[in-house]
Amino acid sequence: MKGKGLLIQFMLVFFIVTACITMLSGFLGMIFLPEMRFGYEAFLSPPLFGFLSALSGLITKSKKELSIKQMLFRELLQLMLIEIMVFGANHMFGTSFGWQLSVTLAIGIAVIFVLVYVVLWLNDRNSAKAFNAKLAEFQKRC
Amino acid sequence: MRVTIRRILNREDEQVIIECAEITPEVRDIRAYALAKGTALTGMTTANRMERFELQDVYYFEALDEKVFAYTKDKVYEIKGRLYELEKTYTAYHFARCSKSVVINLMLLGSISPALNGRFFAHMKNGEKLIISRQYAPAIKSIVMGGGKDER
Repeated sequence: MKGKGLLIQFMLVFFIVTACITMLSGFLGMIFLPEMRFGYEAFLSPPLFGFLSALSGLITKSKKELSIKQMLFRELLQLMLIEIMVFGANHMFGTSFGWQLSVTLAIGIAVIFVLVYVVLWLNDRNSAKAFNAKLAEFQKRC
Repeated sequence: MRVTIRRILNREDEQVIIECAEITPEVRDIRAYALAKGTALTGMTTANRMERFELQDVYYFEALDEKVFAYTKDKVYEIKGRLYELEKTYTAYHFARCSKSVVINLMLLGSISPALNGRFFAHMKNGEKLIISRQYAPAIKSIVMGGGKDER
């Protein structure tokens, strides 16, 4: 996948992650930190994490062709990187969470991560369906 | 369209000449059909016997340890040549690269299904499952879904 395809995938991941992190922050905040108030700069946090998460996808790119196992391993590494990134950034800005919120946040991030891959997979499934429909036509034509 | 068959002596000199006022899709079809028929390859079987086989029976070519193998329904042949040469030579016969080491016959491709991260599984008509890497997936889609270069 090159150029346009990579850009589309990057944008897709960015928007899904941004939307999911916004919702996750909203729900977790309402449950665990209902009294906390933020300034406008808080609106920048979901797109920043969205961008960094999309960027972390580079870890799954390789010049060599990876086997399914190697790809799964890299995706696991990517998830760990995102978790470290989120917790690291919060720690840097002086936000500390209790263990309950930390565990829920970690699980939430993992759910978003899986969700992104499910959406990408569904996108590929649609593309495969369209391909298969044309394949029979192509084989008849040639 | 008039059809003329002229008998000649040498098999090596056999050819199909299409005379047309315009290259229409029908003419392209006839050309592709003629190209796909009667292309024989020679390869070494696993029992170390040289055999001839038809290109149209090849499901895919695979490069393994500097050697190239052709896979038919129930036989594997070691053949001479490099994978990129085969890819180039047989593009007109609807062969396409699906990963760094495999060139598949699109005419014997059953379907594709999504794998991980932009890759696809190629389900061949003989039941074999190959990987279409994300690098080559767009080119294969382009050939089958339109805009592909399937002419030499």
